[in-house]
Amino acid sequence: MSDWWEAAAAWHATHAHVARALLAGSLVSIVCGVMGCFIVLRRMAFLGDALAHAMLAGVVIGYLLMKWLFGLEAHAPAMLVGALIAGLATVGLVGLVSRQSRVKEDAAIGIMYTGIFALGGLIASLFSHYIHIDLLHFVTGNLLAVELADLWMMAAVAAVVLAAVILGFRSLQLTSFDPVMAASLGVPVAALDYVLTTCTSLVVVSGVHIVGVILVVGLLITPAATALLICRRLSAMLWAAALFGLTSFLFGYAVSEWLNVAPGSAIVVAGTLQFAAVWAVAPEHGLAARWLARRRAVPQTIREDILGCMHRDGREWVPWKSLTERLECGATMLRRAGEALAAGHWVECSREGLRLTDLGRDEALRLRRAHRLWETYLERLGTPVSDLHRRADQLEHVNDERAVDYLDDKLGHPLVDPHGAEIPVDGKRIVAGALVRVSLLREGHQAIVRQLGPAAATLALSVGQPIRVGPRRPDPITWTIDLADGSVVALDHRQADDLLVELRD
Amino acid sequence: MNGTNVPAIEIEHLTVSYGQVAALLDISVAIGAGQLVGIIGPNGSGKSTLVKAILGFLRPDLGRVRIFGQPLERAAGRVAYVPQRGAVDWDFPVTVREVALMGRYGRIPWWREPSADDYRAADEALETVRMAEYRDRRIGQLSGGQQQRVFMARAMAQGAEILLLDEPFAGVDAATERAILEVLSRMRAAGRTLVVVHHDLATAAEYFDNLLLIKQRLYAYGPPPAVLDQELLAEVYEGRLRVFSRLLAGRGEEP
Ligand SMILES: Nc1ncnc2c1ncn2[C@@H]1O[C@H](COP(=O)(O)OP(=O)(O)O)[C@@H](O)[C@H]1O
Ligand SMILES: [Mg+2]
Repeated sequence: MSDWWEAAAAWHATHAHVARALLAGSLVSIVCGVMGCFIVLRRMAFLGDALAHAMLAGVVIGYLLMKWLFGLEAHAPAMLVGALIAGLATVGLVGLVSRQSRVKEDAAIGIMYTGIFALGGLIASLFSHYIHIDLLHFVTGNLLAVELADLWMMAAVAAVVLAAVILGFRSLQLTSFDPVMAASLGVPVAALDYVLTTCTSLVVVSGVHIVGVILVVGLLITPAATALLICRRLSAMLWAAALFGLTSFLFGYAVSEWLNVAPGSAIVVAGTLQFAAVWAVAPEHGLAARWLARRRAVPQTIREDILGCMHRDGREWVPWKSLTERLECGATMLRRAGEALAAGHWVECSREGLRLTDLGRDEALRLRRAHRLWETYLERLGTPVSDLHRRADQLEHVNDERAVDYLDDKLGHPLVDPHGAEIPVDGKRIVAGALVRVSLLREGHQAIVRQLGPAAATLALSVGQPIRVGPRRPDPITWTIDLADGSVVALDHRQADDLLVELRD
Repeated sequence: MNGTNVPAIEIEHLTVSYGQVAALLDISVAIGAGQLVGIIGPNGSGKSTLVKAILGFLRPDLGRVRIFGQPLERAAGRVAYVPQRGAVDWDFPVTVREVALMGRYGRIPWWREPSADDYRAADEALETVRMAEYRDRRIGQLSGGQQQRVFMARAMAQGAEILLLDEPFAGVDAATERAILEVLSRMRAAGRTLVVVHHDLATAAEYFDNLLLIKQRLYAYGPPPAVLDQELLAEVYEGRLRVFSRLLAGRGEEP
């Protein structure tokens, strides 16, 4: 009979233990997940680490003070308060060091947290004969030694932190996303920073019981970072981080019981694996999604080569086959490139071939302009003629507007390339009604003078006067414009750049 | 709406520093209501700092800012803000609609959820900048120009009389630049005061009623022809004057 009773009592005792561990771990991992969202988004991960390390000193000092002053052993609230004070002191000192010296914040954090951690270790070993708790628990965590008092502490922390997050959600969201606007609305930005730091210290203190000083950052950051991979909204991220925190705890704890290993490590490893798994499949930033996108992507060079090729071809419908031959690229790649071009409305696709749209024609002209300007530029640099075309073929893919404008201006707005082929005008800018520099125009363009810049101020022209662009003259390059009365005005490069006209028809 | 000659923004002896370095020194200026004002100055000259001080984000070491004659503490929410591209965390989990809704946060007490009216105001603002169909996208998934328009919508949803925009034209294509400019002139026509940090001297004269030239201190405030003075710019932009004289002249020079 008494045997049975003892067995039942023992069973109950171990189960109460497990139940306490489960409850504590779940509570703490959920709160850590929620708080971790703000830490991740505000890039305060280092801060969580600093707080955790500072705790050791706080706990030791709290322990010793209570023992010396009141003769109390291992007074949990005093150790908690000590930990909090040490954490906040670290934060304050980090700020002080980075503000008052040339040391940057990350270095300041490094200095302060190792310093205070080591101080804790130093005091602990100096007074090791006074201290009757296993400080190693703070380093590695001790889930199974969670007492009822600890559980109450964790519940209180959870209640405070969750209440702060729920009640202050919009303010926390706004200060994290755009602190300047938050300040302009009268949100107390600095006060909220303190609230967040305090909440973080509270959460870190309870997290240390579960996984220890070294790993507590993993408990804070990993579930939140996992949630960030898949969430579009902060509210969703908070829920997801709480869930990921809980699952990594439960899974890690189960594994630790099964393999009989330290729960702290198992929990953090579980969180990390969970992160890796979500990262692999996340729709936006995930590895798989990226791999697929890269496979589906068509190199820009191929797309541009297709447009150029079709434009040169001249037929309305260019068969797929003639493109594969000329571009030396696989049929699948070509199909995909065609689809990509069709999606951008540059071409129309059919089973037999491709057709350029007006948009595609403009784009092809723009590329041709880039190609021929590059050729002209290369020739200026002394590139052998045999190399010109090949090099320009590579360089024409550097065709952003600024680069092409620069080349055009530097070369004096040439009309033909070294092979004598015409360089197309800038089709985007040379349209009826546009305000353009005369230097960009060609013979036959008609326009109205709109603005005379400094270099053009001395010309015999007035605003509102109609003009017609005449032929260019070489050596030095000169623009001519014909006026209504039959007279001709000659402009040098600077004057042509400074004369703004509005194109007609 | 406000007293006839109370300036929209009045800055007196404003000095703001980061550590020992003064980013702004003794700036005094009054910006009249209903104007479209450009802030110009080289990189690092304190343009963003000035904007942040006007918004009450940075505490001045000296001097003060008044909004329609009121001290900043009593002007909460009366100035809307469009941040510089580089100042925004584009990985932040927030949707287009939520960003627009932030414009209403000043009116929603902390214990209440946003009402149907708040959502409607946010959606209408998105409609105005033609971003309504993207409302459930995450802000980071948009192009630069679209992101800029969403922040414009946020400022419009706020319904503030004053708007501060930090380099809204940086890194957007010509079409977006025109679209933003159009929204700006519409808002000015509606009596709003707009202050825009601008980096392109070539277009500054065309876009703004008045220009404010700063580099740590105030160099000039007035109509563009007076501010875009060669000697003044030479002093403020130092060695880079050549570049800017080209810009002013409408670009173009011998190689
Ligand atoms: N948070 C900061 N801490 C320290 N210095 C800063 C900070 N922000 C800006 N500065 C400095 O203040 C000066 C003005 O910066 P800013 O207002 O951003 O210039 P702008 O917007 O005109 O480019 C710069 O020299 C910059 O390095
Ligand atoms: Mg700036």
